[in-house]
Formats: sequence, structure tokens, C-alpha cells
Amino acid sequence: MPDSTISIDNPPEGFRRIDFDRGRPDPTFNSHIGNLYAKRGPKGTRDEFVMGFRVHRHMCNPAGGLHGGMMMTVADLVGTMGGSALVGLRKFLPTVSMTFDFVAPAKVGDWVEGRAEVVRQTRTLLFTTIYLTVDEDKILRASSIAKIPSGDGLAFGKARLDRGAEMAAERPPS
Amino acid sequence: MSIPPGFRQLTEATGFAAANGPWFEKVEGGRAIRGFLPGPQHANALGIVHGGMLAAFLDSAMGTAVFHTLQRRAVTLRLSLDYLGPGRIGDWLQAEGEVMGHDEHMAQVRGRLYGPRHDVLAGLGAFALLNRHRTPKTRS
Repeated sequence: MPDSTISIDNPPEGFRRIDFDRGRPDPTFNSHIGNLYAKRGPKGTRDEFVMGFRVHRHMCNPAGGLHGGMMMTVADLVGTMGGSALVGLRKFLPTVSMTFDFVAPAKVGDWVEGRAEVVRQTRTLLFTTIYLTVDEDKILRASSIAKIPSGDGLAFGKARLDRGAEMAAERPPS
Repeated sequence: MSIPPGFRQLTEATGFAAANGPWFEKVEGGRAIRGFLPGPQHANALGIVHGGMLAAFLDSAMGTAVFHTLQRRAVTLRLSLDYLGPGRIGDWLQAEGEVMGHDEHMAQVRGRLYGPRHDVLAGLGAFALLNRHRTPKTRS
């Protein structure tokens, strides 16, 4: 999606659009669904990794609320991309299992944020809890199990955050 | 790859479903099967169908199963998903749901999403049934 749409999204301070498809001719699903943004904060804080997006019509169900499929897609990404960033991995983590509780709706114009909490990391698995929120209200609670591939695995596609975020992600795990 | 016989395109879809479609449906003996043909716009960084897209599609098929079994519109309360195998771009994928139990307010649904070679995604969901007199809203 072209960068001109960023003004429509009006992301809060600190959020940068994630470019999932650097150099790729056809947009993949993460770009196709709309602009997704990320913000990186100090290590160990609630805002160490935050994903965000503005709700538009094309993300909604016929009743005019944010579609569950959009919530699940973003929660999946927060669990894998965010989860790997939180534990200092730069790999694509395939999702093994997820559970979603749809606790509240969101509507067009809302700014939705997603945060992950690492529950446990084993040699091969990463367990996370994910919340999507609008302001202080939770709209989705998700529980994720992702696989940690052996070896170097695949870097997280071609996704690119802002430079500061990349540097933060490159820090060795503590 | 063409659309298998008996499937009708869900032309009434709007919003998310329309933007990520087209989606198709076949109703056989009161049982609804949904299908779609994944393209590059449904792919993740590995070049297989994105888990979020698979989740959205299975959710829609499970909600449709509630409607065809109980004649009630429903919204998803909880969905639990296990990813069994990759969904390939260009493979026709199908999803269907089965109502395992229900009362006046809730339905428990089992769902399955599969391709031509293997199962892709297994689901178990709890759906809240909307009041019968409430204006039906197209579910997609």
C-alpha cells in the first residue's frame, strides 16, 4: 500500500510503518490487509514491542466492526514477529497453535495496538500471551505457541522496521 | 485451477471478506462448505498461505455452519486453532464446521480447513447466538 495512506492512518508518535515486501513485486498478506506499524521501546518495558494499525472499512465485517480475521492476523504477527523480537531472535517463527478470545469490538477510526508477553521460551517453542487494545480497553486476548526453527531459520521475511527498531532487534539476547 | 462444481461466489461479501476474497460456498444437505483459491496476496514471507488468512477463513466457515444448522446468526467468542500443515498458494482450500453442541445462547463448533493433499488447520470454537428477532446481518 502506498505511503500516501500514512496520513490517513495518522499513527501516534513513535510508530513507523512496517515494510513487509521490500523489493517484492506483489504485496503479500501482511501488506494487503492494510498498513501495519510498529514501535520499539526500552527493553523490559510494556512498550518494548508494540504493533499498531488504524481500523478502516476494508478491515471490517458487514456489521461495521473490526473483522475477527483482522484481529487474529495481527495477534498472530504480534506473537511471532513481536515475540521473536522480545527474546532476541531474528527468525521467522511458524505458528503452531493459537487461541483467541474476542472480548470486545473495535470500530472504524480506532487505533488498535498489540503487545506480547513471553510466557516461556524452550529450545524449540515460544509461548506468548497477546493482547490487542484500543486505548486502555482490551479487545482481544490471545495465547500463542510458535515453533523456533533449528539453525538460523529464515529471517523474518523482508520485513523492515525503522532503523532504531532494527538495531534493537539485533541486540544479543540477555 | 478452476472453481469446483457446485460452489457459488459470495458476492454479498463486504469489508475484510471482500478485500481478501473471493470466497465461495456450496450447500449440500444442510451442510455448508466454503472454498477459496489462495493467491500471492494471501501469502506470508515463506510463500505459503498466511496463518491469519487461514484463521479468518475457517472462522467464517464455522460461523456459517452455525447458521445452516441452527438457523441463528452467531458471533465468535473464542476460537482455538492448531496449524497442521502449510496451505499452498494456487491450491483450492476448503473449510467446514460442525456444531457439536448448543443451548439457547451458545454453540460449540468443530472446524476443519484442508487442501487437496492434507489437513491444514483444525479449529474448536464457542459462538454466541444472536437473538432471532435481531436484524440479520450477512456473515462473511
